[in-house]
Amino acid sequence: MAVLGVSLAVSTAARAVERPGVGKWKTVEVVLPANEADEACLGRPIALALDVDHLYIVDAQDCAVKIYSKGGEFHRSVGRKGRGPGELSFPSGVSVIGGRLYVADKFNYRVQTFDRTGEPRGGFSVPFAPDKAWGLTGETLLVTSTPTGRTADEKILHIYDVGGRLRWEGLEARASSDPVYDAFRNMILVCPGMGGDFFVVFRCGERSILHFAASGSLVGKILVDERHVFQPLDLPFQGPKKRLLGFCWAAAWDRGFFYISPPAPVEGKDLGPGRLLSVIDREGRLTASIELPCPVHRFIVEGKRIYAIDDDGGLRIFEVVR
Amino acid sequence: MKKLAVLALAGLVFVSAALFFPTSLAAHDVNECYKDHLDCRVNALNLDAPWYKVMLILTVCDIALGKCALAL
Repeated sequence: MAVLGVSLAVSTAARAVERPGVGKWKTVEVVLPANEADEACLGRPIALALDVDHLYIVDAQDCAVKIYSKGGEFHRSVGRKGRGPGELSFPSGVSVIGGRLYVADKFNYRVQTFDRTGEPRGGFSVPFAPDKAWGLTGETLLVTSTPTGRTADEKILHIYDVGGRLRWEGLEARASSDPVYDAFRNMILVCPGMGGDFFVVFRCGERSILHFAASGSLVGKILVDERHVFQPLDLPFQGPKKRLLGFCWAAAWDRGFFYISPPAPVEGKDLGPGRLLSVIDREGRLTASIELPCPVHRFIVEGKRIYAIDDDGGLRIFEVVR
Repeated sequence: MKKLAVLALAGLVFVSAALFFPTSLAAHDVNECYKDHLDCRVNALNLDAPWYKVMLILTVCDIALGKCALAL
């Protein structure tokens, strides 16, 4: 049975690679400099961001944002564990805009601001545990939340101005009698676009990507090509078996293209991070697939470069060769 | 006799429950349970672990909420 599970997984992966009419792009790994400092080691990296010169990685375990050059050289760390100004408790997202870092400080229920040198520059409290914070226009931030499942009409997206005033809330959480099932159906990824626009990708059950304007109004839906296949997963508990359709483990947007990594079968019946990225255009067409040398948990794309976090929580940088 | 024993037992259970629950619930802040439950869910969803494992952890979070809310 285990052999069957493994062979099914292998054949599914093979099918995913060999799709007619879809380009296959290779990657070359960039050799990273040896970072000697203890602080350079990543404990639990869970989010990445880029600006003109730097790569920012949120380390939830070390309660810090670690700043690297785009070549992977460690520069410094911002934040430490605690509840005071400049201190973080389970940071889970970072965004850099106008020289300021906006950090989703999850268990302190706030968004904190830092300047480039790492000095705290205020922030604001939110009535939920913020998951990610994205700078939209320089004056507004998109903050995402994890629904509690306890109240009706919970919203997942919240737009605040930098002073902490709520401007807009939207994207109602899906709710049913099964909170575990709902937790998965409400897992989203946000990809910031151009001019403050942003895209919402559901990690399972949904093939369309929602396109929002910076104001929060829904601009449209992008239906993704069926060649980017769902990966099914059966839920173990609660009445009749429910099936999740895994769509995306991680996603990024760069220069008009979505980079979506479908979940991959692991250990027979589970779904985990994969090493394929689907390159999808603004019309939802699968234009290419990129095969990475290892599974990646999180990644961000800029031009030909992919900055990724591997299975061991290490930073990897790849150059795409078309 | 059997009926009397059943009635006595039921009465004992009822009195114990009536004495136990109000005091334990008063001493127990249910809001704390909900907060812990939310933290548990948030942690599970941020684990970045394979989804089947996350499902199991979310289920454990729900069971822990029930236990905490009933002060068991």
